[in-house]
Amino acid sequence: MAKTEIRVGGLGGQGVILSAHIIGKAASIYDDKEATLIQSFGPEARGSACSAQVTISTETIGYPYVKHPDVLVVMSPDAYAQFIPTLKPGGWLLYEEDLITLDERVPEGVKSFCIPATRFAEELGRRLVLNIVMVGFFAGVTGLVSYEAITNAVKSSVPKGTEDLNLRALARGYEYGCELARKSAS
Amino acid sequence: MVKLEGFPVEVTLRDGRSVLLRPMTAADGGRLLEFFRALPEEDRQFLKEDVTRKEVVDRFVRELDYERVFPLLAEHGGRIVGDATLHRTKYGWSTHVAAIRMVVAREFQRSGLGTALARHLVRHAVNVGVDKMVAEVVDNQIGARRAFAKLGFYEEAVLKGHVRDRQGIRRDLVIMANDVSHLWEAMEALVADYSPTVGA
Repeated sequence: MAKTEIRVGGLGGQGVILSAHIIGKAASIYDDKEATLIQSFGPEARGSACSAQVTISTETIGYPYVKHPDVLVVMSPDAYAQFIPTLKPGGWLLYEEDLITLDERVPEGVKSFCIPATRFAEELGRRLVLNIVMVGFFAGVTGLVSYEAITNAVKSSVPKGTEDLNLRALARGYEYGCELARKSAS
Repeated sequence: MVKLEGFPVEVTLRDGRSVLLRPMTAADGGRLLEFFRALPEEDRQFLKEDVTRKEVVDRFVRELDYERVFPLLAEHGGRIVGDATLHRTKYGWSTHVAAIRMVVAREFQRSGLGTALARHLVRHAVNVGVDKMVAEVVDNQIGARRAFAKLGFYEEAVLKGHVRDRQGIRRDLVIMANDVSHLWEAMEALVADYSPTVGA
């Protein structure tokens, strides 16, 4: 793998930055790759547009900004509308199934994968962990970070005492992602 | 559906004995009744119901619903030696609160089994989204109070003379609480996607 550019988008309060941080941490600290993270958010704590750019590479990364991501992860309709035109043709789109409806703006050749991440998080007991479900889904679908690495990254990033639920959220998303990836490959 | 992550789990007690902790199933009715009937009356008097009656235990089995009452059993040598339950309400203003009740066989008391049961129940409670747990202990149940205190419970209220023991002595009922919502406040801050330094 030379370099993979990822954009994660959603609303403030969905844990967009944390999920991007965990993906980058998994790659750089636990999978021994290179990673960069650029984050941007609105001035409000909740409800404003929010996104992060992550680059993962086996080589040194010279330029951290992502203009046309290989992988787009979106958790809100606004983020989808804003970023879908930037996704590379043939890239991967991962999105929140219950919140986003795809339309003709999806670039040609894009492989799309969806997950009811919010619903899964609610079933697990806390809507708050939707971003971790999404992180697991990302790892399961793309295989860009190992499960061991993403598990370690989640464990070391979430508050003490919340690890169990967060790891269950991760596993839920990961298994769902692996299943979809298997179906897509066959 | 409540997820049963982390169960069954085997724990080794302070005296080296090994005990299996697992959620109760519908097949446990008979052995649970045996366990309750073997408890000394002194230990049973603090329970909310007369669990030596078969119809009471049959009801526990019939109404088994982990989202309302999650019963965690301790099993040793094919015998039930401890029962801890997490009680939740699905309606009203305290859906975020759960009550813990626990009883351990005499020969397993002071072996760390109560602490192990409570620890796994607390962990389960956090996993299923409970914000606050409460446990009722009588003022002279020093071991139980210490076990709950180790798990982060603190004395939140005392109901004076609320309990009358077998000798007719009235004792204080201590309500111990453990508010775990702060764990999730920290998580909430983490997912806020907000930097107070932006634009400063």
